[in-house]
Amino acid sequence: MKLVIDESRCKGCNLCVLVCPYGIFQEGTELNSRGIVTPVLDRPERCTNCRLQALYGRMLCGVCHIICPDQAIAWVEEKPFEPHKVEVEF
Amino acid sequence: MIAPDWFREDRLPHIYCTGCGNGTVINCTLGAVEEMGWKREETVFVSGIGCSSRAPGYILTDSLHTTHGRALAFATGVKMARPDLNVVVFTGDGDLAAIGGNHFIHACRRNVDMTVVCMNNHIYGMTGGQGSPTTPPGAISTTTPYGASEPAFDLAELAVAAGANYVARWTSYHVKELTKAVAAGMQTPGLAFIEVRTQCPTNYGRHNKLRRVSDMIEHLRSHAMLVDKYNRLTAEGKPVPDGTFTVGELVRRNRPAMGVKS
Ligand SMILES: Cc1ncc(C[n+]2csc(CCOP(=O)(O)OP(=O)(O)O)c2C)c(N)n1
Ligand code: SF4
Ligand code: SF4
Ligand code: SF4
Ligand SMILES: [Mg+2]
Repeated sequence: MKLVIDESRCKGCNLCVLVCPYGIFQEGTELNSRGIVTPVLDRPERCTNCRLQALYGRMLCGVCHIICPDQAIAWVEEKPFEPHKVEVEF
Repeated sequence: MIAPDWFREDRLPHIYCTGCGNGTVINCTLGAVEEMGWKREETVFVSGIGCSSRAPGYILTDSLHTTHGRALAFATGVKMARPDLNVVVFTGDGDLAAIGGNHFIHACRRNVDMTVVCMNNHIYGMTGGQGSPTTPPGAISTTTPYGASEPAFDLAELAVAAGANYVARWTSYHVKELTKAVAAGMQTPGLAFIEVRTQCPTNYGRHNKLRRVSDMIEHLRSHAMLVDKYNRLTAEGKPVPDGTFTVGELVRRNRPAMGVKS
């Protein structure tokens, strides 16, 4: 699964930056075409849900997804599946 | 997408300001609705007037967007006429506790079977930031330019005292706990009141040195104390920091209720 921010919905509040335990969302610096600075993703393949959602068949963690007031965070299927080398720091 | 079967995706992005907590509260409430397995055609959302009260407009079920302060009166009508429906009310601190204060205490007293989610941002957000009955002492608003000088209502304690069967309080930062609390409220017959302390960066934060959304969230997070810890500290006579509010389940009981599905 791949983590994506829907640029047409995100208002750049950075609540996701605040809550992700892995620091995957980083405050952005550039305006997008709607004039909004959306966060940038730092190695999103580390996200628990990216790695394990398919295995467990349910949402894992998902805190960014619930707190995002604008429902701008989603996971999409990766096709064809791209294996990732994942390093998770604890 | 949270609750795709319930959310009016075509209405996004919603009218709320950047970083407004109301969107998060809608997510959590719909998460709880999904957990309940309710049917759309058996569920009604009711609200009054305010930013918070715009919430039903983003939900696919039938809804009533009523007059300021009267959401609970309309909801009581719906529930008494059609006890088979699930009724959920979205309201704000001004809507519920200022103009609607009388409806609030009597809906709790009657213990009408519905779930009331109050987005308490401590301000009249929609009309430009006037003080509300929950504006904390010292806070700056357009009607308290030298700092609020009145004590504030504790909405959750008010609901407990007035007789609601289920009362909980969380913040828009505690998303998982909030979702669980709303679901627990929906399961409890009688009136369930869930107060959500939430951020209004535009009309509260901006005037109170909490301009950034993250500052507002940090303020909420650091002033929230689990109700058990609060009770323990006060029982031991230990001091509780200024501005602390309790979070968690405040009451779950079985007083006689009205409008319960038979
Ligand atoms: C009878 C009546 N009085 C006053 C108003 C103006 N008014 C609209 S929203 C509002 C306050 C809303 O505050 P709150 O319920 O806290 O909602 P928020 O916008 O903060 O979510 C007021 C006073 C109104 N619409 N109707
Ligand atoms: S929480 Fe949502 S709206 Fe806010 S910055 Fe993150 S993706 Fe954008
Ligand atoms: S689901 Fe959890 S780990 Fe994954 S990006 Fe969101 S907050 Fe981070
Ligand atoms: S004015 Fe406040 S409550 Fe209303 S949408 Fe903006 S941030 Fe939210
Ligand atoms: Mg308000």
